[in-house]
Order: sequence, then structure tokens, then C-alpha cells
Amino acid sequence: MYLLRLALQSLANRRFSALLTVIAIALSVTLLLSVERVRTEARASFASTVSGTDLIVGARSGSVQLLLYSVFRIGNATNNIRWDSFEQISHQPKVKWAIPLSLGDSHRGFRVLGTNQAYFEHYRFGRDQALQLSEGRPFSDLYDAVLGADIARELGYQLGTELVLAHGAGAVSFVKHADKPFHVVGILAKTGTPVDRTIHISLEGMEALHVDWQQGMPARGAGKVSAEQARQLDLTPTAITAFMLGLERRIDTFALQRQINEFSGEPLLAILPGVALQELWSLLSVAEKALLLVSVFVVLTGLVGMLTAILSGLNERRREMAVLRSVGARPLHIFSLLVLEAVSLTLAGIALGLALLYAGMAAARPWLEQQYGLFLPLAWPTPSELKLLGGILAASLLMGCIPAWRAYRQALLDGLSIRL
Amino acid sequence: MTTPLLQVSDLQFAWPGQPLLLDIPAFSLETGERLFLKGPSGSGKTTLLGLLGGVHQPQQGAISLLGQSLRQLSSLRRDRFRADHTGYLFQQFNLLPYLSVLDNVTLPCRFSALRRERALRQQPDLNSAAEHLLRELGLSDATLHQRSAGALSIGQQQRVAAARALIGSPELVIADEPTSALDADSRDAFLKLLFDECEQMGSSLLFVSHDTSLATRFDRALSLAELNRASKPETL
Repeated sequence: MYLLRLALQSLANRRFSALLTVIAIALSVTLLLSVERVRTEARASFASTVSGTDLIVGARSGSVQLLLYSVFRIGNATNNIRWDSFEQISHQPKVKWAIPLSLGDSHRGFRVLGTNQAYFEHYRFGRDQALQLSEGRPFSDLYDAVLGADIARELGYQLGTELVLAHGAGAVSFVKHADKPFHVVGILAKTGTPVDRTIHISLEGMEALHVDWQQGMPARGAGKVSAEQARQLDLTPTAITAFMLGLERRIDTFALQRQINEFSGEPLLAILPGVALQELWSLLSVAEKALLLVSVFVVLTGLVGMLTAILSGLNERRREMAVLRSVGARPLHIFSLLVLEAVSLTLAGIALGLALLYAGMAAARPWLEQQYGLFLPLAWPTPSELKLLGGILAASLLMGCIPAWRAYRQALLDGLSIRL
Repeated sequence: MTTPLLQVSDLQFAWPGQPLLLDIPAFSLETGERLFLKGPSGSGKTTLLGLLGGVHQPQQGAISLLGQSLRQLSSLRRDRFRADHTGYLFQQFNLLPYLSVLDNVTLPCRFSALRRERALRQQPDLNSAAEHLLRELGLSDATLHQRSAGALSIGQQQRVAAARALIGSPELVIADEPTSALDADSRDAFLKLLFDECEQMGSSLLFVSHDTSLATRFDRALSLAELNRASKPETL
């Protein structure tokens, strides 16, 4: 204990270089922990993009592709599935609810999703959170649209805003559904998932847009169906892009998955969203791991900086060591003193780093949540973070042994007094 | 006749790869004695003090302190033995500047349980033991005791160093040119205080200096050059 006091007082005597060392370590610790936190949170928020859904069904392709277009609204389906396939499967007794998804149109780069009321009722994200409307109501009229939170904010749309949808998914589209404009009737609360960037309309609305289309081109002249005329038609869709299923009993998931994959009507693919999300994340996690690796190296740099500071000070401190030897300190005491010094500097660095982390998080939290839907809880360090901190401390202990060993050798050679 | 406190016989020492530096057939210090050892710098004086402290080991011969042969002790035990029984007092700059005066004086008690125990025999705690010694050595200003050691004058620092060498009543006090940085008046005053304290503590004093004018004040005076058969003309 007395050695620790000596180490601290000796450090206080060199407070300027000690402070710089502590700051270097603190910054690297803050970086490492922020990366770890954002990484963990990104993974968690990614994994909870969709929850509560037992199966996602689409035309037969790859599971990651199906996940990408059905949940993340990235890419396109290779094929549609027939409406009667959806009807047939969703009316199975095992199925509790089904959400049809029809994609393909967009508005200023934001995807349009045709669906039905089941979406607002059963869609879940995060920790079993349901969709909430921050304003307005779900769609009920044929030309009603419900916006995700980001769209309303970025485009400045409010309830009642009229919007024209475009055919295809590009940001700039030459084929617009100008004859059938939609009205915003609801705006969803922020979810931090792709829902925020989606425009929701009814399946019938989606059908009405394309009712007079032939071979992927809008009709001209007499073939045209006006917005009001469309209301009179049977707008039951003939095809949709994908659908989500919730089951009565989760235990039936695998049986139903097999049944759908062997569906005789047309080639279908059913995936478990959790498994597909993991598969997708394992593709993305390379970048995340690289980031962590880089920050680990930054911490090592900080510790090497400390090592340099201690080592370069050793020669000037030979007298200090000799004095300690003359009052009875054994070489082992000298060794411990320097190890304690390294560990104290690192502990101070970790403490300051944590303080910076929490201060930074408190400041950046609202912005991160707004911009990226990342929710960073101001929680105590998690076990994995504590493991990282423990690793840093252990590394400092090992590194402290280097100057300690040199001082130990020097103390043995110098004895009780040195001639300088 | 009792055994001497410190006894050196047939000591030979050379630094690795260098000629014989010390060759001392016999040298001893009696309990309670104040011995002046004349040793100009470069005469192997510092090395001899290191040997007496058990920091270095001689190639030949024996050194025994309090009847205990240093050679028979492991290096760990030698370090403990030195911390328990020997107080050191060096030329200058031998305080830790970042500790307070009191903390400097009590340092030996942090590393030696025996000296701690002895210091506590007369005083309730280490700080009062240190304060008592500092007062005896003429540093009675209590505000001074809390100051950091680096802020003191050289003369004050030497008295603090003396208090540190004496705390916990070590049997042997080894002083290496402690007065070389002091002017004549302070030197005399310092010596007197050092003698008085050594007597009170019951410590023997081995005083090494090149300044022969001090020699008459000691019980006995020796010259290292005469003791050491290995001394060479170049040290003159």
C-alpha cells in the first residue's frame, strides 16, 4: 500500500507528462468503448429490425435476398408470387396472421409498400414493439398513404400532402403514376428500422396504380382508367412480392417452412427471419470487426506511449531509485513501484476514458437516435466492455514489467548511491 | 572482549573486467564507536560502502555486521538486514523531493518492520518520532515538516537526511561526505548534532570524508588508502 502511495506521489511530481499519458490512454479507451458500444447496438438494432415474425415467404431465390427486399427494401424480387398462393397458405390453421407485401414503386427514392391492415396490427420490430402512429391514422381509402418517420421529416410532408408515386425503385423515375395521386393520412413514429423510409399504401391502391398497365407500360388513350373509374373495379391483386407469417404455435415453424418450400402451386421460399438476419450480419460483421481491431491498436498505441514516457524518464530517476534502495527498498520494491506506476496511469486513463465516453454519449444520444435510429443506453459497462477494460489493464501490467525490469537491473548495478 | 559491530577480513573486490579495486586485510568498528575514514573520491570508497551494505558481494573475504556474516545471507535477507540495521546519509540530493519532510524521515520505517517498531517504542506514531528527531536536529518549525523536501535549503536537507538515517535507531549509521556541501560553521553544528543523536540512539557511526580537518573530532581515524593494499598511485 505504501508503495502505491509512493508511486502516485512520484507521478504527481511528474504531473505534466503523466497527464499527457493519461489523456492519450483515455482517448484510446473512449474510442475503443464507443466502437464497442455502437457495434453492439448496431448488431442488436439490426437483429431486431423485424421481430415477432415466424416466417417470411417469397418467390424462390436466396434467403438473404428475400430478407433484403422484404425487410430492408433493398434490391428487387426476381419473381412475384400469386395471390391465391398467399390466400391458400395464410388460411392454414397453423397461421395466426399474415401480412402481404407488394413492392416495386417508389416516391423520390423511397420505396412504396402495398400491404393491408394486418401490417399495422401485427408487424413488430425491436423488442416486440408494434408500429405507432405519431400523427393521423392508418390508410382506409384507396388513395391513402402512411409515411415512415424519416420520409415525413426529410421531405417535409404533413398530413394531407399529395404525392405522386413513380414506377420502379429509382430516385429519378420517368414513369409516374401522375393520374392517381395519394394523400398522406398518417405518419408513423420513428422505429430505427427500414419502416421509417417506407411509404405504405393499401394493396388495392397498389393494384389501382397498375390496373390499366399492359406489358409494363401505362395505357394510352381509350385504355386509360381514371382514379375515380378505378374505384369501381375489382382491385384484388393478382400477385404480391412476399408475405410475413405469424404462427399460432412457434413449434410449427419448421413444419410449415418445409410445407411452403415444397408448395406445389409455384416455387416458394420460406425463411426464418432471425436466421437470415444472422446470415446477413455475418457478411457485414467483417467491417465491424475491422473497426474493433483498429481501435484495439489505438489502445496499444496509447499504452506504448505510456511505456515510452516511463522508459525515457528512468535514467533521470536513477537517483530516486538509489535513495529508495538506501532507505531499505529491495530491488523487488523498485520493480513493483514501476509496475504500479504503469497500472495507475492506465487506471486513471480508463477512468477518464469512461467519463469522456459517458459525457460524449449523453451529448450524442439524441442525434444518434434521430439520424441512425441507434439507441445507446447510458448503462454501466457491459461484461464484454469490462473484459476489454480488463484486457487493457492486463496489457499495462505486462508492459509495466519492461521499465520495471530495467529499473530493477539498474538498481542492482547502481546500489545505494550513484555518481552523476 | 565483545565482537565488533562491523568486521571486515581479507576482503577483495574488483568490478567485472577491471583490476582489483579493494584489498582490505582487516577493518572493524566497535559498538558505539565514531570512526572517521579518510577516502578521496575514486579510492573505492563508494564501492566499500556498497559492500558494507551488502549491495555488492566481495570476491574474497568476509564482512560481518552484528556477528552476522553477510555472505551467508541470501540477497533478499541481506537487503532486509541492511534496512533493519543500517542508516545511510549521503552527500546531497538524497531526499525524495516529491515527499514531505516527514514522509522522507519515516521512509526507512516503511521498509523495515524492526526500525518501525523501535521508532514506536518511544513515540505514539511515526510522525511524532520523525518530528522528535527533526527537533533534536534543530528543525523545530512544524510548518517546515509538511513542506516538500525539495523546497528546503541544502543545510536543512542534510539534517532531514540525518533524521532519516537515525530513525528507528539502527546499530550502524554510515555517512558519506554528508558535510561536503555545507560551509564551515554549519558543518561543525551539523557534526555536533549528528554525534549527539548517534549517542542517544546508541548507533555507531562510520563517517567517510576527504576532509581531514574533521578527523580529530572522532574516536578514531583511518585512511582507506592505508587500509587498502590495492590502492594505486593514480588515486592521489
